[in-house]
Amino acid sequence: MSDESEVMSTDIMSTGDRLIYMANQIARNLAAQRDADVQTAEHIRKYWTGAMRARLQELAAERPDALSPIAAQALRRIAV
Amino acid sequence: MRVFVSRDMASVALGADDVARAFADAGCDVVRTGSRGLFSIEPLVEVETDDGRIGFGPVGPGDVAAVLDGTHATRLGKVEELAFFAGQQRFTFARCGVIDPLSLEDYAALHGWQGLAAARAQAPQAVVDTVKASGLRGRGGAGFPTGIKWQTVLDAPAGDKFIVCNADEGDSGTFADRMLMEGDPYCLIEGMAIAAHAVGAGHGYIYIRSEYPFAIYTMRLAIERSAHLVAPFTLEVREGAGAYVCGEETALLDSIEGKRGQVRAKPPLPALKGLFGQPTVINNVLSLAAVPFILAEGADAYAAVGFGRSRGTMPVQLAGNVRHGGLYEIGFGITLGELVNDVGGGTASGRPVRAVQVGGPLGAYFPPSMFHLPFDYEAFAQAGGLIGHAGITVFDDSVDMAHMARFAMEFCAAESCGKCTPCRIGSTRGVEIMDRIMAQRAPSAAAQPDPGLLPSQEHGSLAKALYSRAPSRIDTSLDAQTSLLRDLCDTMKYGSLCALGGFTPYPVLSALDHFPEDFGARAPIKEAAE
Amino acid sequence: MSFSRETDHGTPAAIATGKSVTLTIDGQSVTLPEGTSIMRAASLTGGSIPKLCATDSMDSFGSCRLCLVEVEGRNGYPASCTTPVAEGMVVRTQTERLKQLRRGVMELYISDHPLDCLTCGANGDCELQDQAGAVGLRDVRYGYDGATNMGQAKDQSNPYFDFDPSKCIVCSRCVRACEEVQGTFALTIEGMGFDSKVSPSQGEDFLGSECVSCGACVQACPTASLIEKSVVEVGTPDRAIVTTCAYCGVGCTFRAEMRGEELVRMVPWKDGKANRGHSCVKGRFAWGYAQHQDRILNPMIRASVSEPWREVSWEEAIAHTASEFRRIQGKYGTRSIGGITSSRCTNEETFLVQKLIRQGFGNNNVDTCARVCHSPTGYGLSQTFGTSAGTQDFDSVMQADVILVIGANPTDGHPVFASRMKKRLRQGAKLIVMDPRRTDLVKSPHVEAEHHLPLRPGTNVAMLTAMAHVIVTEKLYDEAFIRERCDWDEFTDWADFVSEAVRSPEAIEPLTGVKADEVRAAARLYATGGNGAIYYGLGVTEHSQGSSTVMAIANLAMATGNVGREGVGVNPLRGQNNVQGACDMGSFPHEFSGYRHVSDTATRALFEQAWGVSLDAEPGLRIPNMLDAATDGTFKGLFVQGEDILQSDPNTHHVAAGLAAMECVVVQDLFLNETANYAHIFLPGSTFLEKDGTFTNAERRIQRVRQVMAPLNGYADWEIVQLVANAMGLDWTYDHPAQIMDEIAALTPTFAGVHYDRLEAEGSLQWPANDAAPDGTPTMHIDGFVRGKGKFVVTDYVPTDEKTGPRFPLLLTTGRILSHYNVGAQTRRTANTAWHPEDRLEIHPSDADNRGLKDGDWVTLRSRAGETTLRALVTERVAPGVVYTTFHHPETQANVITTDYSDWATNCPEYKVTAVQVMASNGPSDWQRDYADQARTSRRIAPLEAAE
Repeated sequence: MSDESEVMSTDIMSTGDRLIYMANQIARNLAAQRDADVQTAEHIRKYWTGAMRARLQELAAERPDALSPIAAQALRRIAV
Repeated sequence: MRVFVSRDMASVALGADDVARAFADAGCDVVRTGSRGLFSIEPLVEVETDDGRIGFGPVGPGDVAAVLDGTHATRLGKVEELAFFAGQQRFTFARCGVIDPLSLEDYAALHGWQGLAAARAQAPQAVVDTVKASGLRGRGGAGFPTGIKWQTVLDAPAGDKFIVCNADEGDSGTFADRMLMEGDPYCLIEGMAIAAHAVGAGHGYIYIRSEYPFAIYTMRLAIERSAHLVAPFTLEVREGAGAYVCGEETALLDSIEGKRGQVRAKPPLPALKGLFGQPTVINNVLSLAAVPFILAEGADAYAAVGFGRSRGTMPVQLAGNVRHGGLYEIGFGITLGELVNDVGGGTASGRPVRAVQVGGPLGAYFPPSMFHLPFDYEAFAQAGGLIGHAGITVFDDSVDMAHMARFAMEFCAAESCGKCTPCRIGSTRGVEIMDRIMAQRAPSAAAQPDPGLLPSQEHGSLAKALYSRAPSRIDTSLDAQTSLLRDLCDTMKYGSLCALGGFTPYPVLSALDHFPEDFGARAPIKEAAE
Repeated sequence: MSFSRETDHGTPAAIATGKSVTLTIDGQSVTLPEGTSIMRAASLTGGSIPKLCATDSMDSFGSCRLCLVEVEGRNGYPASCTTPVAEGMVVRTQTERLKQLRRGVMELYISDHPLDCLTCGANGDCELQDQAGAVGLRDVRYGYDGATNMGQAKDQSNPYFDFDPSKCIVCSRCVRACEEVQGTFALTIEGMGFDSKVSPSQGEDFLGSECVSCGACVQACPTASLIEKSVVEVGTPDRAIVTTCAYCGVGCTFRAEMRGEELVRMVPWKDGKANRGHSCVKGRFAWGYAQHQDRILNPMIRASVSEPWREVSWEEAIAHTASEFRRIQGKYGTRSIGGITSSRCTNEETFLVQKLIRQGFGNNNVDTCARVCHSPTGYGLSQTFGTSAGTQDFDSVMQADVILVIGANPTDGHPVFASRMKKRLRQGAKLIVMDPRRTDLVKSPHVEAEHHLPLRPGTNVAMLTAMAHVIVTEKLYDEAFIRERCDWDEFTDWADFVSEAVRSPEAIEPLTGVKADEVRAAARLYATGGNGAIYYGLGVTEHSQGSSTVMAIANLAMATGNVGREGVGVNPLRGQNNVQGACDMGSFPHEFSGYRHVSDTATRALFEQAWGVSLDAEPGLRIPNMLDAATDGTFKGLFVQGEDILQSDPNTHHVAAGLAAMECVVVQDLFLNETANYAHIFLPGSTFLEKDGTFTNAERRIQRVRQVMAPLNGYADWEIVQLVANAMGLDWTYDHPAQIMDEIAALTPTFAGVHYDRLEAEGSLQWPANDAAPDGTPTMHIDGFVRGKGKFVVTDYVPTDEKTGPRFPLLLTTGRILSHYNVGAQTRRTANTAWHPEDRLEIHPSDADNRGLKDGDWVTLRSRAGETTLRALVTERVAPGVVYTTFHHPETQANVITTDYSDWATNCPEYKVTAVQVMASNGPSDWQRDYADQARTSRRIAPLEAAE
């Protein structure tokens, strides 16, 4: 793996990037569970502020490919 | 021609190796044996003849021809018929000096392994019962019944049990342990194997002081050669580093465990929590070496000799200023006088015997007026002494008994492990008291102490400073110092953790009681009391 | 509480066998447990046998020979310390003969002891002096011109205590304390007989020896031979107050021994249930920071961080704080401010800070430093077991047969508990250490790990799952336990998952770098070796899979039936003194005290009714989210109590940027810490010696903190929070922290039974303490898991995104050292710096060689986040490819290096894995120089204006 492909750099990650990263990371870690999307949604609902969730919804709309399928599915559940 | 020459450390010191080489050079088949145990005839050469083994001794390397043609002036005839040997009851030392110590054939030929075979044919409890019935008591000095010790270990529930042989023979004038290990090592191995069977132990240690290189070498080789005979029991030798206190059984266990050899408080008894915290039989060489005879010949045969509650034989070691020094194994009950005068033949110097010390450096001094004492644990205890490891050191009338008392304190100070206070500080204070007494007594009473032995003066100024603030100035009068010495001995005897500090008062008080004139007293205490 | 020495019964209590014996002591018939010594028996029945070498914190030794007694039917005078009681025994402890013998022994002692009692530091607090009196010694007839051990040079190398060999009576109590209590084996007796001397290691001085300065030897010394320097300087104490240490999560209780208003020394309290009379160098000695000249005692404010500080009155500072927060909320909204509670403050103070935020700020923007240490523990154990806490008390370790230590270094981090663990290990318990470093536990005197699994940092989940693979595939699990206590279907799901070949030890060997055989052997030992107890630390939590690792640990414990009794369990070793309490008190943005989610209507209603306001049902911001929001411009004000997030939190650049973007940062602390460089208001804090309250340690034990001296800054921290709250319009009227605890108890079911009168009476309580558990709960989940059925959670190994590569080929992991605590704010202001004056970078000889580095060279440590310089320590404690450093010194700022990666579930930072490069350096980095300049500027305090 080359260093250039790293997600992070010395720069501080923008809040938007970080929210997407966090959502994807949660989804990735819950992927082996039976209902990963439900759990991801529940996790985000339980631990994130409303503003963070709202911002993630906006980001998902702006950058449809940024979220992993599980994260995206979870976000749709939260929106419902 | 076959000749027998001892390889015992004492014989070698007297020139046995040169003698053996000379006979080998002359084409003889030289068999190296242990020592018979009479030093005045060493180096001893025994020549195999049709009439049996004929002894010559002492013999030098230049005497080969005279010995071989039978004309040598020191021809002794059959050694076992000499008075020194004829009077003995050799149960434990029967083979010592007779056989090649490392020859399994020799050992087996003279009843070797019969005790182990007998033991293994019995249940452990039956073996313990036999040892109990024999009346065998700890030959290291304590005189505790061996069978009862074994019973405790047998009854202890534990997976790992150990047999430990105390071969840290540290008493001055004693050499029986060494002689046996050098002269008949399989006897000790057999005794330990019997003990292992009796209590259910799997492994044993023989703790030998490093000053005994021949014994260490011989035991290691013997262990190797007899491993198949005692299996599954296994044995190893551990070398002691030369601390007298490691002869104390719990300090010895610490030392085997790799720790600083320091006396442990009892309880727990080593029989229950000994080596590595496991139930452990810890016995002296002589106790363990007595066991094969007991199992082979039966408890009754052993118990048949002896005196009172002291059953069986004791290998007495005669040393010091004595004409016939050596090892004399005899049933308990022989008197001290018989041992010193009849067996030992009085002093080597030819002067009158003044005192004998029995039981090593911590044993009491006895004057000839007490030579009627029978050799017996109880009789000696009652007389204010102890048998200990049965070393007897003889002194003639040139001895200064105050000096001997000082030596006892000095010995204790040098060998103290430092754990308990009475021994750690008391022994040093004891030396100082003796120096004051010796300085105070009439100059003509006895020789002055070596000034080199006086305490160092380097703390002088500090001591002076402290002295000036002392609650009361020290009373250096003979009466005060003698009374302080008695108080100190009382503190040490009843306050010490182990026998080192606890027994040091024996030589000191016996010297003071029996030879008060050497302590500056005008007349013996008995008269003064009237 | 007046000064009285704790009763010393001479020997420890007998190991319980259930049997008792009856005997007669001095005519009195007594019945006592089998195995009790005569000495203890006499003491328990009100008698007192003279003694010097015996003390009830250690096994009897039998060397001083003062305690001789008479036993009917026995020869001689047995030592009462080493002789156990026996049925029907008739003992006399005071007779003329015994007096005579004891006097004889004492006379010998004093013949080799200085006669300077009146000028001795221990005068009045000396057992030798007491016992000389007790045995009636009047005269030393040996004089003082004989041989002596007096006049030897003192060893004053240790910063906290002196060793004067002249006053030593060679009782070996210090040596035995070092062995039996501390387990370090640093002391020995050198020489024999009269020349026997106490010696640290091989003729070294104390400072240069293996001594860890725990103080056990000083406490054990019956004379002034080992004595605290402070006692020599200040004098012997005249009163004592029992309180709780403010360092690590062990929660040792101490007697703060005072002389007038001055603290003389801290002495571990024998009745302390966490420490059982033991201590470490920090709690015992490193309390001098409380009086350090660096302490800020007056409130200060400034308009911008480029200005110097201006000292103001408390009234002005409080009013300014309230008005600034209200101003910001008016301008940017209710949720634009928040606060951080402190794990070093009391439960009561923490509760008040979160109450201030929820009630006064009107939002849930409260977080605590547990975010950066044990938040994954809270999450993981609550998911699997149902409670956010460890399952055992510390005593439990004495019943453990196999101890599995994962990512923890207790001999440095939790030394007092480590001593007990080592004691258990010396008794024969087996040890498995899972750690990238060869920590002291792996091999130290008389302790050696059966298995050391030196895994590559970041592979905990893979390793633990491989152990589960062995346990499941080799059928070593406890089926009966699982069927009874857990959900069987969840178990089978998990069992299928872990059984897959890709999760076998062989398959993960290339990943973890640990031999598969070793992993298999360790797994078998844990599963089958008897009581299996897991202890873990931040090496588990501070990873991007921290929460998964905690759950993987819980899975292992459940699968092997190692939960719900003494000697087993899952034991997080908490970092800070009150990190458990801070979490319990509702410091997290999503939950109230007692771990109840803010969205829970019933809970909210309870608090709303008590506090008279409506509360926010939305979770608040976590610390990193606060900093993000600050850089985004939506978060503008922060109240930080007793935390130094700039130094302790990861990616310092990010923290600094966040703080710099805020309009009002209020720091409450003892010192102008690094965070205060970005603060606008500074409120001086009080130390644990200056206030009342409670701390909750790692075993959920709630213990009292008692005020020892008046707050130098004028107010205890809880009072300051109350002042701020009232200035913001609330009407708090607490007169004493006891009232705050009453409120906590009323609002928190697990604390319902916790009140100060009970803590006074019982010493401590372990929560849950309520009607269901009136005596508290030493061991949790005994009859069933708190959540009902234990939950097996599938823990997939998701590697961190932090990767090594050509530019950053090494993995950095961070940690701490015995002599320092956390960011070092306290310990750096004590003589503990004697042991650790700077942070060093541990690097393996082969990695050092490749870079041409020698021990002691300055090196640059660079990661994707930043770079710093420090000196190298070339050592095989770290594996090739791994480097390690501590974060105690702001000059180093190890967190400039650490990244923003964090635990997926809790955002606990990934301190333990950072890809780095190490190279030779010529000196401090640009950043370090800039930072030092900025810090200097920022710490300026304007001179007071003339009063005229």
